Amino acid sequence: MSDAQEKTAWTEQDSRAVVDALYESVSTALESEAPRGVTPDQVDRLRSTLVSSLTPEVTLDVRRAARRFFEEEAKREKRAVVKQTRADKEADSVERLSLHVRVQHMILFSSCILLILTGLPIKFHEAAVSAFLIDVMGGPNVTRILHRIGAIALTFIGFYHLFYCMAFEEGRKTFGLLIPKLQDAKDALHQILYFLGVKKDRPLFGRFSYIEKFDYWAVYWGMVVMITSGYILWFKDLTINAFGKFVFDIGREAHSDEALLATLAIVVWHFYNVHFNPHKFPGSLTWLNGKITMHEFKEEHPLEYEEWKASREKEGGVP
Amino acid sequence: MTRRGVSTALRRGALPVFAVVLAWACLVPLGVSAQEDVRCLSCHGKPGFRKTLPSGKVLELFVDPGSLRLSVHKEKHCVDCHADVSEVPHPNLPQKVNCRRCHFSGNTAGAPQIEKYLEFEQSVHGKALAAGNTKAPACQDCHGDHFILPGSDPRSQVQRTNIPQVCGTCHLKIFAEYEASVHGKALSKGVTDAPVCTSCHGEHNIRGPADMASSVNAGHVANTCARCHSKVVIMEKYGVKAEQVATYEESFHGIANEFGVLTAANCASCHTAHDILPANDPRSSVNPANIPKTCGKCHPGANANFAKGRIHINAKDKSAGIVYWVALGFKILTLSTLAGLFIHIGLDLYRKARNRKKRQDGGETERPENRP
Repeated sequence: MSDAQEKTAWTEQDSRAVVDALYESVSTALESEAPRGVTPDQVDRLRSTLVSSLTPEVTLDVRRAARRFFEEEAKREKRAVVKQTRADKEADSVERLSLHVRVQHMILFSSCILLILTGLPIKFHEAAVSAFLIDVMGGPNVTRILHRIGAIALTFIGFYHLFYCMAFEEGRKTFGLLIPKLQDAKDALHQILYFLGVKKDRPLFGRFSYIEKFDYWAVYWGMVVMITSGYILWFKDLTINAFGKFVFDIGREAHSDEALLATLAIVVWHFYNVHFNPHKFPGSLTWLNGKITMHEFKEEHPLEYEEWKASREKEGGVP
Repeated sequence: MTRRGVSTALRRGALPVFAVVLAWACLVPLGVSAQEDVRCLSCHGKPGFRKTLPSGKVLELFVDPGSLRLSVHKEKHCVDCHADVSEVPHPNLPQKVNCRRCHFSGNTAGAPQIEKYLEFEQSVHGKALAAGNTKAPACQDCHGDHFILPGSDPRSQVQRTNIPQVCGTCHLKIFAEYEASVHGKALSKGVTDAPVCTSCHGEHNIRGPADMASSVNAGHVANTCARCHSKVVIMEKYGVKAEQVATYEESFHGIANEFGVLTAANCASCHTAHDILPANDPRSSVNPANIPKTCGKCHPGANANFAKGRIHINAKDKSAGIVYWVALGFKILTLSTLAGLFIHIGLDLYRKARNRKKRQDGGETERPENRP
C-alpha cells in the first residue's frame, strides 16, 4: 500500500518540473510576442493577468489529458488480455487427430447415417415412421439406390483405412497402438473398481483407452459383417446361384441383426462418450479440428502426455 | 273436409265411384297380368318353341312355366320384367330384361334394398357391357333368368359350389386350371373352406388385376390370400402353415410390396393364380424341380440353387436351420453388448454424481474425475 502511494503520489519534484516547464514555455512565448520598449510596469501587469487566468485552464487540460490517458490504457490492456488468452489456448491444445484421420471419420459417419436412414426403415417396416422416412426420401426405389451409394462409400472407406494402416507411417503407428493388450483388461477392471468407489484413482490411459479400442474394433467387426452380407444381398442372384438360397438367408439375417447392433452401439456407446457424457455435452469438436485441450490431454491420456512432454524436452523445446 | 262435407260428398255418389276405382286399381293389374301370363304361355309354354332370326341365330323361346313360380320372383308376371312387350305377336324384338327396374336401393317392388348394380357398373364386366361388348355378362348370365334362387339354395347358380361352373361358362381355360388346383379339388371334395372364384375376385365388384382397387391387384393379392391363409383355425385343418403370410410380409418381397413396389413378388407370382398346387406335386410351380423356372421369371438365370434353402423363413423357428442359429447368436451378442455398455455408463454416471456431491460437501478433494 505505502509502496504504491509513494509511486503514485504527486511529489515536490513533480511540481517543480511542471512549474519549470511552464515557466520555460511562457517566457519563450513572451519573448517572441513582446514588442520592443516594454515597460517593467507592463510586464508586472501581464504577469498578474497570466497567473490568474492560466491556473484554471491548465487544471482543466490536465484533467482531460488524464482521463483520455487512462481510457486508452484500459483499452490497450483489454486487447492484450484477449490476445494472450488466444495465444494461451493455442499453446494449450494439441492435435490429437490428423486431417487424414478426420476425413476418414467424416466419410465413415456420413455413409453410416445414410445407410441407417435408408436401411432401418426396411427392418422396422411396420412402424409408421418407417413409411414416413421412405416417403420423404422419395420412395423405396430411391432409398434402395441411396443405400447402395452409402454402401459404396462405406466399402471405399473400409478398404482405404486398411491401406492407410499399412502404407502410412502414421497409420502403422496408430494401428499398433489400437491392438488390444492385457493392460486394457486390467484398465477396464481398474476403472470399474474406481466407479464403484473401491479404488481412489482412475487408471492411466495411453493414446487409446480400452473404451476407444472397443469403439474402433466394434466398427471393424461391423464393417466386416455389414459389407460381406451387404454384397451377398446386393448381388443376390449371383450368390444364390453360386451357393444356394440359404447363404442369402444367412446374409439377410446377419445384415439385419448387425445393423441394429451397430446402430445401438453407436447411439449408446459412441454418443455417450463424445456427446452425452456430462464432460463432453453437447459434443467435442475434435472430429472437426482434431484438437484436444492440454487439460483433456493430461486427464484422458496421461501416459501419452508424459511421453509427449518427454519427447518435447528432448527436442529442446519449452517443457 | 268437415264431417258435413264428407257426408255431402257421399250423398252425391262419391263413394260408389271411389269403390270402383279402388277395386280396379287392386284387382285389374293382377288379373290382367295373370291373364297375360296365360297369353304368353300359349306360345312360350310350348316345348320346342323357337325362332330363327334373319341372322340365322336360333332363339330358344320355351319357358318352363313352373320355373318362375319356384323362383324368388314367384309373385312376378311376365310383363313385370318384359315391360316392353305389349302386343302379340311382338312387332319388335323384345329387349333384354333390365333388372335395375326393381333392384335398386329404395325400390317399392319388394326387391332387396341393396346397391349391387352400382358395384357392377364399376366392375370389369359392367364397364365392358356399358362399352357395348355383347359378350359381357349382365345379371342374368350369372344369376339365371327365370329360375333365380337365393345364393343359399344349393340349386342356385350363384350358390358357392356352383360358382366355378358359372364363371367357367365364359372363362373356360381358367376353369380347367382351377378344377385341377388344390383349391378346385378341395371344393369338389366338398371342402366348404375352399375358395371359389368370387372368394378372391369379389362378386359384383370384380375388377381386372391391373385396376389398383382390385382385390387381385399386385398390391392386394397378399391381403386377399391372407384372408384365409393367416387364419390358424382354417389352415391347421389342412396342414398348411398360417405363418406363411407373416414370413412373406417379413421377406424382401413382402416389404417391397408393402412400400408400393408392385414388381416385387406376391403370392401369385410364385404360386400362380389359378393352378395352385402343393409343393410336393411335380406339376407345382413351387416344386423344387420347377423353382429355377419360377424364380427365373424375375431373377434371370436362376438355377437349382434357388431351391437350396427355405423360401418362407421364420428365423425364430428351428425349422429355419442355420438362419435360426445366426439370429440367436446375434440376439445374444446384441443383448450382452448393450447390457455391458449400459452398466458401464451407469457406473460412470454414479461415480460422477458421487464426486460432485463430495466436492459440494467440501469434503476431501479428489483428483478431478473426467471422462470416461
